[in-house]
Amino acid sequence: MDVERIKFERTGGFAGMRIAADFELGDLPEEEAHTLAELLDDLDFGELPEQLMSDSSMSDQFSYTITVETEKWKHTVVTGDSSAPEKMQELLQMLNQLARKQARKQ
Amino acid sequence: MHKHHPIHCIVPPHMLEGIATKGTEAQKRLAISTLKTSEQMRGQRRALADFSAAAFRVAAVGGKERIVYDAKNGSNLPGTAVRKEGEAPTADVAVNEAYDGSGVTYDIYKEIYGRNSIDANGMRLDSTVHYQKGYDNAFWDGQQMVYGDGDENLPVSERLFNRFTIAIDIIGHELTHGVTQFEAKLTYFQQPGALNESMSDVFGSLVKQYQLKQSASQADWIIGAGLFTSNVNGVGIRSMKAPGTAYNDPVLGKDPQPAHMKDYVNTVSDNGGVHINSGIPNHAFYLTALELGGNAWEKAGQIWYVTLRDKLTSSSKFQDCANLTHQTAAELFGVGSMEQQAVKNGWAGVGLTVGAPTEPGGGCLAALLRLLGIGK
Repeated sequence: MDVERIKFERTGGFAGMRIAADFELGDLPEEEAHTLAELLDDLDFGELPEQLMSDSSMSDQFSYTITVETEKWKHTVVTGDSSAPEKMQELLQMLNQLARKQARKQ
Repeated sequence: MHKHHPIHCIVPPHMLEGIATKGTEAQKRLAISTLKTSEQMRGQRRALADFSAAAFRVAAVGGKERIVYDAKNGSNLPGTAVRKEGEAPTADVAVNEAYDGSGVTYDIYKEIYGRNSIDANGMRLDSTVHYQKGYDNAFWDGQQMVYGDGDENLPVSERLFNRFTIAIDIIGHELTHGVTQFEAKLTYFQQPGALNESMSDVFGSLVKQYQLKQSASQADWIIGAGLFTSNVNGVGIRSMKAPGTAYNDPVLGKDPQPAHMKDYVNTVSDNGGVHINSGIPNHAFYLTALELGGNAWEKAGQIWYVTLRDKLTSSSKFQDCANLTHQTAAELFGVGSMEQQAVKNGWAGVGLTVGAPTEPGGGCLAALLRLLGIGK
């Protein structure tokens, strides 16, 4: 898939603070963009269920909303710390870092 | 190549709202555009907690039983056991803080409230430290406590958070989510969710006061003191004494907590503002404890604990909590007692009159929960 744009939002957590990012893959350094595209490809992101939430207690966990846009489709997945599949953790950590980095540039 | 169109991003919405009203023209435009974007991004979603105890992997044992695990910066829980009950301290400060903090939390519940652990049946207290990299959070996953190291993976000058075991009230906070899960089962959404959060802050703060042997007037009533690095202008995450004043920082924005019902925040974010509106019941507890004087964990803590254990339900709202703590105070200390009066005054201080009617049937959410067979 040819990912063009990613939107990311993290809410909740012990501190209740929200961070978010919205960027085009083409604006990122090549290596970062490549890693992100690979992670999304690996997850088969477009085929993931929209709600990846577990039934267990959510107390203080982060809630994540990720929207990926390609030329052909747009797909949003909502997940949480203990319900996100192991394979998705690296993607979440990378998006967190990007959101923090972009926030500091403001 | 596609068109470059960076929209950039954001930190907390309350910070953006501040910039949108007080920043320079360029800052205002950017803040307003990002706020609009985030509104579009924000989905209507909520988490209904399923507090089934059936899946618990930890067996009941006799008394205080702790294990601290190390996730070694990964996501697998619980990770590798590094310190078990009775073992000597390790060289790892986070491991020792998790061990000691869960120990003091066990002690106050056992010695003051007569409760044997989270489930009242000696459940083992499992904690995992060093969860992921750059994980600026702590949570209760329904079975155990989990702590990140803050933003240790950033350069020192950019770090905002220290390790989450640094404040003992955070440990008491997370463990109390476990107690609530076994007792009132407060749904983690809107007012019941804010009460769930408030109970965790109340007993988190009491764990710290109990450890330091501080009276209500001596305590700082700050949640998460020491968690911010020196790069942040703030004393902690929340203040029970003065909600809304814990931090005011160029990067993190201003503490958004209200201290009074007139400032109640309606939002879909953060499960309906569970970490925001908890400021209101937090402050009611503080006012009650201060009026009673002495050690807050004794009278005020006892009233709140019995209310959490025996009276609140999954759909309880602030008014219910006011009425039920008032009722509990009468049962424990007598009708018209100074303790009951202090509870009444505490809630009056946040704009709630005890004895006022609660919504018939507990409102829309309760009705929905009953329909789904989740509510009490």
